[in-house]
Amino acid sequence: MNEPNEPIDLQEFLGAFVVEAEELIATANASLLEIETAIGDATSRPRAVRELFRALHTIKGLASMIGVEPIVEIAHALETLVRAADRAGGSLHRGAVEIALQAVGAIAERVRAVAEHREVTKAPEALLAEIASTEAGSVASIPEAAIPPEWRTRLSPSERQQLALALEARVPVWTLSFVPSEANAARGITITTVRAGLGAIGEIVKVIPRSVAATADVKLGVAFDILIASDATQLAIAEAASTDPERVFPLVQRVPTPAAELDLDSFEPVERDDGGAILGRAVVRVELPRLDDLQDQLSLLIASRFRLEREIGCFSELGHNVQRLHEIVRIQGRLLRDLRRAILRARMVKVTEVLEPLTILVRSLARSGGTVVQLELDACEVELDKAVADRLLPALIHLVRNAVDHAIELPDQRVALGKPRAAKVRVSCIEVAGNYLEIVVSDDGRGIDRAAIARRANCPIDDDARLLEVLTSPGFSTRDVPTKTSGRGIGMDIVRRIASDLGGELSMTTQLGAGTSFTLRVPVTIAVMDVFSFQCGPQAFVVPTAVVDEVIEVDAERIVVPLNLHADGTASPLSLIERRGHAIPVVSLGALLAIDSGKRARKALVIRRNGDPIAFTVDRMIGRQEVVVRTIDDALVNVPGIAGTTDLGDGRPTLVLDLNELGIMARERGME
Amino acid sequence: MTTLHVTFRVGTADYALPAAQVLHLESFEIATHVPGAPTYVAGLMQVRGRVVPVVDLRLRFGLASIEHTIDHRVVVVQVGTRVAGLLVDSAREVVQLDETSFAQPPEILDRQSAGFVTAVATLANRLFLLIDVSRIIGEELTHA
Repeated sequence: MNEPNEPIDLQEFLGAFVVEAEELIATANASLLEIETAIGDATSRPRAVRELFRALHTIKGLASMIGVEPIVEIAHALETLVRAADRAGGSLHRGAVEIALQAVGAIAERVRAVAEHREVTKAPEALLAEIASTEAGSVASIPEAAIPPEWRTRLSPSERQQLALALEARVPVWTLSFVPSEANAARGITITTVRAGLGAIGEIVKVIPRSVAATADVKLGVAFDILIASDATQLAIAEAASTDPERVFPLVQRVPTPAAELDLDSFEPVERDDGGAILGRAVVRVELPRLDDLQDQLSLLIASRFRLEREIGCFSELGHNVQRLHEIVRIQGRLLRDLRRAILRARMVKVTEVLEPLTILVRSLARSGGTVVQLELDACEVELDKAVADRLLPALIHLVRNAVDHAIELPDQRVALGKPRAAKVRVSCIEVAGNYLEIVVSDDGRGIDRAAIARRANCPIDDDARLLEVLTSPGFSTRDVPTKTSGRGIGMDIVRRIASDLGGELSMTTQLGAGTSFTLRVPVTIAVMDVFSFQCGPQAFVVPTAVVDEVIEVDAERIVVPLNLHADGTASPLSLIERRGHAIPVVSLGALLAIDSGKRARKALVIRRNGDPIAFTVDRMIGRQEVVVRTIDDALVNVPGIAGTTDLGDGRPTLVLDLNELGIMARERGME
Repeated sequence: MTTLHVTFRVGTADYALPAAQVLHLESFEIATHVPGAPTYVAGLMQVRGRVVPVVDLRLRFGLASIEHTIDHRVVVVQVGTRVAGLLVDSAREVVQLDETSFAQPPEILDRQSAGFVTAVATLANRLFLLIDVSRIIGEELTHA
């Protein structure tokens, strides 16, 4: 029985608050940036203002539920300002945006404090006063005559404002109709997809439903009149709305007169001004550990299926007829694969969402550093595992911060160098083979001075790969160097570390005076991997196939042991092997892991690290399969070179090796 | 006041752990060796859907390793959020130990067991050594 006074589990509640608040803060920031961009183009973004308002309002409500008064105060003050802006037609002036960004920053700071169980500091009086004294933007007006009569009574002040700004900016305004029909629905075209399509090429001012005569095809008997401001051609608008160009009218022409009006209330969900709302309701937020649990259970199920298969094999050997059992197990195998794929899909987030925080980061860095930076994000529809995204973000922040802080010249310097005044930082993401993503962070700044780095590191640097190695060696990058001259400096070892922990790679190209580009190659997911399994000495291991360049035969006679004996007389673990006419370093994996002499090795796995191949000898290959990988996090077994464990079906953990890291270990030992 | 304890044998001594720290007992077949881990780590075992590191208490206590027998058990313990297995020679009993019977370990024993033994309990003329699990599974490692 629950005691009436039993405290609710505040801890769990706080966790949920933090997650939700952070999302809302991201929305608020994104809306503010959109509003700021709109000021630049002399247009308004009523929808962004409304989104901002909604985000602030929700944050306020959540914060007051858990009694974090300072957040409530800031959110409330800002909400008041934004509401005024909404009434004034959806515009905020530059100063107001600036203060709003500060206020959202102050809220974010306090949400972090809640997350880290720190004391939440009071709302800064100065900030509250500044918000209170700030006025929303000015109202642009539109001559009544410019609005088609049938729209006149149906436009709110903010929608009129939007029209006025569009006309002012000479953006054409169009009206069109969309009729949901059976034929359209069959092709996946609904009012939601039309909204999305039109939203992508223009600013939708208003959508109004009206009734039409129902026919066999138009069963609902509803049409939608749409008012949109867009630079796109009549043809493009018609295409986006999946309608005929003849049904798209410039504002000066008449739309067909609406027949009988419908009761607007019954169309409330459609009437809402965000096309996403309808879709948004089908979204459930799930904490990642719950998906991890699901995956763990699934991997047990898969392992038990393997055991079942083995038992059936024994039955069969005893002369029983197992054909029908085989069939069932085969189907089960397929179902389990589908289930695994479905769970994987549930873990995926859009890369675009992951990159979102970078916009606000670049803005504030550029502001404080006096540079003018244009951030370009290009990730299209690429998705990745939330667990990878969470680990990757610090590396991206690091690279972008380095670019803005150290690589980009001041505007005047840029002009003097014949470069555009505004620098460009670009973050792009594409999917590459083997379930990997390539994320490129590039800038058009000063580039890295290889000679200067070589002098400082006191070693020759012939190419970019070697340069990156020097930049990412902990001894170099943590040294406090004057980064303005080198273009890059602090913390690059952390970026490389993040990439290699994920089983990925960092590479770089740079051109002095023209810019630098870093490429992070990481797996789409770390929960499931395509692996090679092999035997090495007494135990089996697996490695991701993506890191393996080639599997080669090893003939003991092709291995050359160079004369690099250690001072104590023991041989270095590095030897050389001939591969297509080139000698490449080869390491006995068994000897490196101190589990085997490596004398029985018949195969070698060749990997590439920053372009340099290195081979690991193993006894024999077992196979190739897709496995669920668990990370090892207990301190007792958290050792370098081991990325996690998996179950190959025998109910025992099999180690997943990180050959990149083992390669580094081997080289370091070889150089000792 | 008495508390429920799980007792087990390592070498010639009997040890005890509060039952509250013990999740369950498992028989021991084989653990996956983890190259590079401390020598007293027997390896990784899959226990009821979880992969846990197993500490060989013989090696941890500085005793010689012995051939594994059918009596060997893994005592699965939880300390905070960490779950680990302790490989012991045998584990059979659950006993009620009277906390008033707990005494400081003799100094000589204390040095031998490197501070793993926190107290000595007596029950029906038998001695049980109470051990500090978080130290055994290497709490110093987590701070490294």
